[in-house]
Amino acid sequence: MSYSCTNTGKSQDPSSAKKSGGNNPGSCGGSGDTGSSNNSHNNRGNKANAKSNTAEAMKVKVGCNTTDGRIPATMEEELLANTIITPDDVLGLEKITQNYLCGPEDNVYDIDFTRFKIRDLETGTVLFEITKPPSANKADKLVDPNAGRFVRYQFTPAFLKLRQVGATVEFTVGDVPINNFRMIERHYFREQLLKSFDFEFGFCIPSSKNTCEHIYEFPPLSDETMCAMMLHPYATQSDSFYFVDNKLVMHNKADYSYSGTP
Amino acid sequence: MSLKMEMDVSGVSRAPISVLPAAAAEEVKATLRPEAERPRCSSTPCSPIKSTVSGYQILHMNANYLVGFTTGEELLKLAHKWSDAGPENPTTPEALPASPLRRPLDVGLHRASRIYKAKSRYYQPYDIPAVNGRRRRRMPSSGDSYLRPTGSGGAGTGAGEPSKALHGPLPLCLLKGKRAQSKSLDYLNLDKMNLREPAADTEVLQYQLQHLTLRGERVFTRNKT
Repeated sequence: MSYSCTNTGKSQDPSSAKKSGGNNPGSCGGSGDTGSSNNSHNNRGNKANAKSNTAEAMKVKVGCNTTDGRIPATMEEELLANTIITPDDVLGLEKITQNYLCGPEDNVYDIDFTRFKIRDLETGTVLFEITKPPSANKADKLVDPNAGRFVRYQFTPAFLKLRQVGATVEFTVGDVPINNFRMIERHYFREQLLKSFDFEFGFCIPSSKNTCEHIYEFPPLSDETMCAMMLHPYATQSDSFYFVDNKLVMHNKADYSYSGTP
Repeated sequence: MSLKMEMDVSGVSRAPISVLPAAAAEEVKATLRPEAERPRCSSTPCSPIKSTVSGYQILHMNANYLVGFTTGEELLKLAHKWSDAGPENPTTPEALPASPLRRPLDVGLHRASRIYKAKSRYYQPYDIPAVNGRRRRRMPSSGDSYLRPTGSGGAGTGAGEPSKALHGPLPLCLLKGKRAQSKSLDYLNLDKMNLREPAADTEVLQYQLQHLTLRGERVFTRNKT
């Protein structure tokens, strides 16, 4: 289940442009019982506005789009040649990748997203909820193994006006404990970085099911930006990178339309 | 609910947003309809029937904010279905999703359809008067809509049924996926198409068309003599 999740815990907001809605489920590793435990955790992160990040600079990952340029820009072609891709590598990406930076087989920890929900926090309105029934056969042969790592959302223009959205994700992990589980999600509009989110989930106990809600706030968008995003469906795209022990294990993609038509 | 469909302007008023031209704004507003009534399951009349997408179950989708969700698997299946429907559907190239911004993502598919149409000798929209006793086959011209890039047709011209089913162009990540796994789309030779040099393919296409025409005329002449 390929969802990206936006999280205000660690975000970079190079512009006032709105990011896309959450798609890859941000996972949350919480403490809990052994075995098939259910761990729940709420994460209310910092505000996504770049201006508010000054007071909480320690929690903000500096990306390549900032003025100080602490993280050098990286090219997708260079990363594809690497055997290991680290968080700093993807933080230097300046545009959406054309290829997946890892294969489905790299998910050696058997991380599986089973449920995803987004809601408007101001009204409590559930916008979307999806689940993967247990009967879903993982052995089903896909037309393309990458097909399961891509999702497409068709939002209405009303979505661009939302201020706070909560994304709840449920996921399971395999028999191996997961250390330092981390997600970096980068949203682009027409190859311009809109926002980068960096969320560390921490430790996940083996054979557990975890639930986590990410709460993020959208900065107001200019009319011109919203118009452009509505007039160019699927020009808004995102990369969701998942790391365990600072090694890329999953890469999901999504694109978005805001025209309001299917 | 109308309140939910109204959007803030500068976070102050709840007046309808007017960033789009009037006609487009009306069209946008028309899409902001309340969540459509879904057929009810007889066993649970209060619960709408849950839809499924590629094995996933959509439990809830608020049409005020989200009108569509699909996976890469679904997109590939739809693309394959659309490509299979090509021979029977002469309007298939026109049904490519329209986008104001011509994107390289759909060029491959569009190019495949153009090549297919070029090789088809049987498509002729109108009779060509015989000249010197010879019936000529119409040469496709750049003015033909099916050869025109989708983007130039505007948002309203390419929205055929296949494009709606396709939910837009295929993303590049799927087109560039592992070809070994995408055998169903291999025959399109998408990976062999040069997406960055449309002019070259156009020239090749025109050369092929001329070659086919000349061959046809030679056969006709041979038969006549």
